[in-house]
Amino acid sequence: MTHPIIRFDHATFGFPGTVALEDISLSIPESEFVGVIGPNGSGKTTLCRAVLGLMAPVSGTLRVLDCACEELRCHHRALIGYLPQKGMLDRNFPVTVLEAVMMGRYGALGLFRRPSGKDRDIARQALTQVGMDHHRDSALGALSGGQQQRVFIARALAQQPRILLLDEPTTGLDLTAQHNVVELIQQLHQDLKLTILLITHDINMIRSRVDRLVLLKTRLFAAGSPQDVLKPEILSQVYGKELVITDKDFIVVEDYHHHH
Amino acid sequence: MLELLAYDFMQRSLLAAALVGSVCSVIGVFVVLRGLAFAGAGTAHAAFAGVTLAYLVGLPPLSLAIVFGLATVWITGWVEEKGRMKLDVSIGILYTATMALAILFLGLMKTYNPEVYGYLFGSVLSVTSEELMTIGGLSIAVLGTILLLSKELYFIAFDQEMAAASGVPARQIFYLLLTLVALTVVIALKTVGAILVFAMILIPASTAYQLTHSLTQMTLYSMLIGNFCAVTGVLLSYAFDLPSGPSIVLLATSLFFLAVCCSPKRLHRIHAQ
Repeated sequence: MTHPIIRFDHATFGFPGTVALEDISLSIPESEFVGVIGPNGSGKTTLCRAVLGLMAPVSGTLRVLDCACEELRCHHRALIGYLPQKGMLDRNFPVTVLEAVMMGRYGALGLFRRPSGKDRDIARQALTQVGMDHHRDSALGALSGGQQQRVFIARALAQQPRILLLDEPTTGLDLTAQHNVVELIQQLHQDLKLTILLITHDINMIRSRVDRLVLLKTRLFAAGSPQDVLKPEILSQVYGKELVITDKDFIVVEDYHHHH
Repeated sequence: MLELLAYDFMQRSLLAAALVGSVCSVIGVFVVLRGLAFAGAGTAHAAFAGVTLAYLVGLPPLSLAIVFGLATVWITGWVEEKGRMKLDVSIGILYTATMALAILFLGLMKTYNPEVYGYLFGSVLSVTSEELMTIGGLSIAVLGTILLLSKELYFIAFDQEMAAASGVPARQIFYLLLTLVALTVVIALKTVGAILVFAMILIPASTAYQLTHSLTQMTLYSMLIGNFCAVTGVLLSYAFDLPSGPSIVLLATSLFFLAVCCSPKRLHRIHAQ
């Protein structure tokens, strides 16, 4: 097995009096495409923040890029490309597409160093990879939601990351844009051999694309191939007794009473 | 008009106005984009409380203005970081508390001191050579720091969490930004006064915000607008015997409304609809 790039060993995360994720043991080898699913409040975003080094375990260990969380310095973080949950972007924020993507270079560059022509080339290349180079001088706020997500993926790629962490990248997008964004992520995984952690609620969209699914509900409920994890008995335990799965090929979560 | 430049006091005033116009308008870009407008207003009043205490106990006014300004801005940052209460509530409390302190210190003074009121309302025409040296030194320090760390400052203004996740020391840069805001307020205190100083930080940047989609262009436009308003405001104030602070700020406000009316962004949106 390839050396794990992310390794949780009985790691528990939370704040005083609150446990957000408990006793997680999970190894993710380099170049694996992992989908992270679970209901609201199941700890998906906590997992994300932990891998980013923004939250240390209260017990157990987490090693990312061979560093313990507290050792994860800025230059390590620069190797983790991150697409946060889609917030409310101020449509008038004065930033062009290229300026936004260039920000992906800042962590790796370090303090006081100005971006060079090479950094600009890397940003342009990242824009080309997501099919947005022709929009480089456009205002970010003038783009559609799907185009903005592509730009933010390019920003993460401009870091030249080893790990790509995507927190609900399809939320708020229309169906076509959702499909295009997930297809782009799969393509990037194939082309660049990146380790990808994709956090999502949209099980249908990713089930045929990921190598492995991780199902969370405050603890690691299941991890394995999509076929092994997406079993009706497992999903109904996690998503609640009142919910049933009506179709094996296309997962539909319905209200139990309504269904009957 | 040119003969005005022969006067020493006018040379000092114009130079002070240009420095204040530049430094306020550049830091203003980050204040506007990071949503710290109200924090800056609170800092200005805190700095004035420092000035009044300094006059009361016989210390250099700018030294205590810096101490009060920094304390206020750091407490504000800490409260925002910890999420203990809404930012506008905490600033509102500090804003009024420091203003109450200023009024208290003024009340404790046995005699009327016109110099103190100069810091409240601004008096650029009375800037001394020593004050100009202090303004110059602090301006170079603030603008130099911004120049060296502009990419990090832009990133945290855009998205602080994303900046931290990308390996930028975002928290430290945020506190540095707050420190620069406090220093800028102190630099501008004598020129435009505690009441109006924040207008000089807010208005040129907000005007530039109307005009462009680019971060670097916004900074450039803001600096040009800030400089133009400060220098022209001083000249107008002398020519028409008007108070300098209001002349500068009202000129900047007029330009702001003009920019709102002619904003390419706004016109583009109307056209798109």
